Amino acid sequence: MKKQLPIILGMVIGIIAVAEFYVPASGMRGIKTTLEGWALVLAAAAFVLGAINIVQVNYPKIRRMEPDWPYKVVLLACAAVMMLTGVAWHTFGGERANGSVKIAMGGGATAPMIKISAARDLALIQIGNDAPLDAATWRKQGGQVAVKAEVETPVRVFMPPEVKGYEEYNATILLHAGEVATVKTDLVMRWGKEGRVHTWLYDHIFAPCNATMFALLAFFIASAAFRAFRMRNTEAALLLGSAILVMIGSAPVGGYISDFFPDLRNWILSIPNNAGRRAIMIGAALGAVVTGLRVILGLERSHLGSD
Amino acid sequence: MADSSNEKLHWSVRLQRFDRRWVFLAMAVAILVPFILPCNVPYKASPMVKSLYYTIEELEPGDEVFVSLDYDPASMPELQPFLEALMLQLKRKNIKMVFATTWYSAPPLVQRDISELVERPIEPTGAYGGLPDRAYVKNKDFVWLGFREGREAVISAMGNDLWATFDNRADDGTPLSQIPMMQGYKQLKDFDLVIVVGAGYPGVKEYVQQVQARYNLRMVGACTAVSTTEYTPYYQAGQLLGLAGGMAGSAEYEMLVGRKATAAQGNDVLNAGYLVVILAIIFGNIIYFVSRKRKGGAVR
Repeated sequence: MKKQLPIILGMVIGIIAVAEFYVPASGMRGIKTTLEGWALVLAAAAFVLGAINIVQVNYPKIRRMEPDWPYKVVLLACAAVMMLTGVAWHTFGGERANGSVKIAMGGGATAPMIKISAARDLALIQIGNDAPLDAATWRKQGGQVAVKAEVETPVRVFMPPEVKGYEEYNATILLHAGEVATVKTDLVMRWGKEGRVHTWLYDHIFAPCNATMFALLAFFIASAAFRAFRMRNTEAALLLGSAILVMIGSAPVGGYISDFFPDLRNWILSIPNNAGRRAIMIGAALGAVVTGLRVILGLERSHLGSD
Repeated sequence: MADSSNEKLHWSVRLQRFDRRWVFLAMAVAILVPFILPCNVPYKASPMVKSLYYTIEELEPGDEVFVSLDYDPASMPELQPFLEALMLQLKRKNIKMVFATTWYSAPPLVQRDISELVERPIEPTGAYGGLPDRAYVKNKDFVWLGFREGREAVISAMGNDLWATFDNRADDGTPLSQIPMMQGYKQLKDFDLVIVVGAGYPGVKEYVQQVQARYNLRMVGACTAVSTTEYTPYYQAGQLLGLAGGMAGSAEYEMLVGRKATAAQGNDVLNAGYLVVILAIIFGNIIYFVSRKRKGGAVR
């Protein structure tokens, strides 16, 4: 039963997935949607399994202090940090306000005033459609502004676009003659996938490391071209010659020298390359069809852990 | 001691053993010099890129496109210039956009791109001789659906039921039923064009295999240079209506859009970089043949 049940499940779901292509009945679409929903849930669950697997593989090696164990500590620590910073901690215990407005009668002033203070110096303060001012400049200019009476004035306090991961404060204030509104803001730092820490780690650690690894390829390709790309036989000579011609044709300078190079490059890509690619793709597709049929018919059982 | 042993060795042997950091240095110089002293070598758009440009140009104002942004920071130098030019062309034509990604590492980049390229105008003054674009409004002119894990299963699911794939909500939680521009766009085939900016797996190829052929979608793509040869059969078969490959493709597309920017500058770097690789191959083979001849002739 341990093996028969997965085989039967695979067979039934496989037949439905294939039949859906050929049966236009609307009921089939609903079944397909449900099955795809399950597939997405399984794919998401695989992340959890992946996390458990990373710990299972690396922790024993750290404990035994096997070669390169410090790298594994870094790996686990980074994974833990990214996971923890991905949680929206700021929503725990209820939402916190970004600011407050208090309206009171001013000391004899006839024009209404809005006083704004921002706890974060980088914050930008914008009144209506005026250009935003940073909090420090705003303070130097008195920290308040006169507005029209009986007219709604939008107030916006927000962090500059380069400082991601903060909530913004928005209010519309309606004042009467002689009133003063005091706005105090303390923009909440967000956690989670769009939070300050997560985006900072992404922008300043993940993105540069990821880009650096890819950029290093340029150097390794040049080194490999010098050391390994040798014309040892006819096949290698053909490969090398076509590679050089495609490179010259792909580089803008090739077209500058002569239209022959881009045309030749396009011909190589369109005719010999496509012929080879198609042969590989069709072969792989036929192989996938055969493997799929073997799974559906229960002939292929390697995915169940047996030979 | 080392010098005396080197004196006995043939020059080809010594060159074969030379420190590869010299090759790295040559490549570094080739990359840096064009940035400092740009040559601006003229170039032409390839048929694949022209076809991509005119496919988008054929769209009517108010049409809606689905844009899948499947990239990561590593592929940004090649694909970001394309994306900037693409957003400009689409916004100039007032095309509505629905964004999604199947790459786990993409959401922060996509959100930044939406903030900088979509929600703000790129060329508000209509510089470079083109029409001006405007700031798009979220859930009115564009929708960001977010990321779903599942790779090809997600692409297949989007083809079948886009709304259900994203739990009937945009990334900001707004129900799709409350977004006017999403009405009537429940499957990928409902869109006037599908644009895939893909840096690898899953990307252009998976969209073609999972949904383009099945729903007969109008589709164009952009990919990294290394994938261009892999995807050209799809262009030749008409499954892709256009394809921009790598930095060169981005530069050609920038030129057609009329706003030469970072990819055009990158083209100079490409010239120098390719030159170093070609010279390294030629140089390496000369040394190889000289040393083979010496060994064959038993001359030492």
